Amino acid sequence: MAQSGIDRRRINGPEESFPPLFDDDDDDIELKTRRGRAPGDIRPISRSISQANGSAYIETEKTKIACAVYGPRQSKTTTYSEKGRLNVEVKFTPFSCTRRRAPIRDAEDRSLAVSIHQAIVSSIRLELFPKSTIDVFITIIENDGIEGCIASGSLAASAALADAGIEMLGLVASCSAAIIGDDIQLDPSEAEARASSGTVILACMPALDSITSVWQSGQMSADIALKCMEQCHERCIDIHSIVAQSLLEHRGTN
Amino acid sequence: MSSSSTANPSAADETLRGQIFQRLHPRVYLERFIAEKIRPDGRAFDEWRNVSVNVGSISTADGSALVRMGDTTIVCGVKAEIAEPELDRPDQGFLVPNIDLPAICSPKFKPGPPTEEAQVLSDKLNEALVASGALSLDSLCIHPGKAVWTLYVDCTCINYDGNAFDAALLAMLGALRNTTLPKATYDEERGRTTCSRKTRSPLRLTRNFASMSFGVLDTSHVLSDPTAFEEPLIDVALTVIVDDRGELISTTESGGAISEETLLRCISRAKERALQLQKLL
Repeated sequence: MAQSGIDRRRINGPEESFPPLFDDDDDDIELKTRRGRAPGDIRPISRSISQANGSAYIETEKTKIACAVYGPRQSKTTTYSEKGRLNVEVKFTPFSCTRRRAPIRDAEDRSLAVSIHQAIVSSIRLELFPKSTIDVFITIIENDGIEGCIASGSLAASAALADAGIEMLGLVASCSAAIIGDDIQLDPSEAEARASSGTVILACMPALDSITSVWQSGQMSADIALKCMEQCHERCIDIHSIVAQSLLEHRGTN
Repeated sequence: MSSSSTANPSAADETLRGQIFQRLHPRVYLERFIAEKIRPDGRAFDEWRNVSVNVGSISTADGSALVRMGDTTIVCGVKAEIAEPELDRPDQGFLVPNIDLPAICSPKFKPGPPTEEAQVLSDKLNEALVASGALSLDSLCIHPGKAVWTLYVDCTCINYDGNAFDAALLAMLGALRNTTLPKATYDEERGRTTCSRKTRSPLRLTRNFASMSFGVLDTSHVLSDPTAFEEPLIDVALTVIVDDRGELISTTESGGAISEETLLRCISRAKERALQLQKLL
């Protein structure tokens, strides 16, 4: 008998259901009429999750990400570790994507978590927390493309860590770019990323002028890839000053 | 210790001592407040936290609502899909509510499959929506026996500060009222349903209702809308669901015995509060 996807821990609906098919789907999505996204659009709101040690909430046009940091707290494993461990977990809400996602964690969640982990791990002074774990939980409430999620997620995680008072070498800012034709578009939406020939996601610490992670996918020449990285880097510097400013303002009012 | 600034260091000390006392002896801490007829967050026993509802902010969902009840934050989204109806109920759609309490919302939840608390909450929410009959499942039928709408109503808690049930029910109702379904036509020849993006119509909800939760401490102190600190310390948990005409939909009580007088008092308080909440939705 085939495995029917009955999840005994949740209320179940019918065995199979399909997202609605639209008859007017063939209309080309207008990529040209694109609202220019200024770096000032990304402004994390701290202290949104009172139960956590630190939190940040980032909202851009169509991406909403909430991040909470718990820690440093005791590691579950009994093996001694000289450096602290960073544990990043990403969760999509079922209504965050165009097609409903089952609440089961799958490979996409984990690959996102790995990307964000790589972006922020080199900025945290883990050697100060032996035997401890820092848990970073990210919930994606609305999703407009994986590149945007990784970029905004890394930013939210870094801001939440700063909000929690965990010692870091610098704030991590992250930005994504897509190659559409001959143009480099920063901060692509899902439709733009799908129409592009390649994407680049860059995470860096502008305070130390160092790069923590680069993800490149798709087809592009080395020159274009480097140009993308430069443009992302410039944008990251702007984002960094905005995030630092909002964190300082928030601390000032406390 | 400098002699010039004596006020500030001792104030910080006192706060720290208070916090340590709260951690080590939570019950005694709460009882000290109760004796003064006030609660740790400054509310009176029958006072409710501020509620704010924000609908329609999530574009990927067919309907959405964000509810903040004090610090408890719950976001709910509705996704509509098309399915074949059950054989014995050919003209009824499906309504599938679920709540998720992920690790992000509180240090007491660990990542992994839904905890017992989340499962119980999902079940209670399902019962509440079914018992109230707020949404007639017949209205979700596209073509009897062939195609019906399935509404997945998913709640996710972002910040857990007690009383998730009330907030979740409010969020689900807000999201359902915000939901619009595209016009669907079933093609008999090809056996498939196509929808039009241009016309969207809202759901037909028959009644509005709200839930009010109370906690009873020491059989005589009734605290309404318990926070995450008070929840593990109360003896009896009581939830009353009332609709917009003042009619009682359901009453659930768990944990111990309470007097009839307390029960009736809670029901009347819930009815008063329901009127206040109607203005929000």
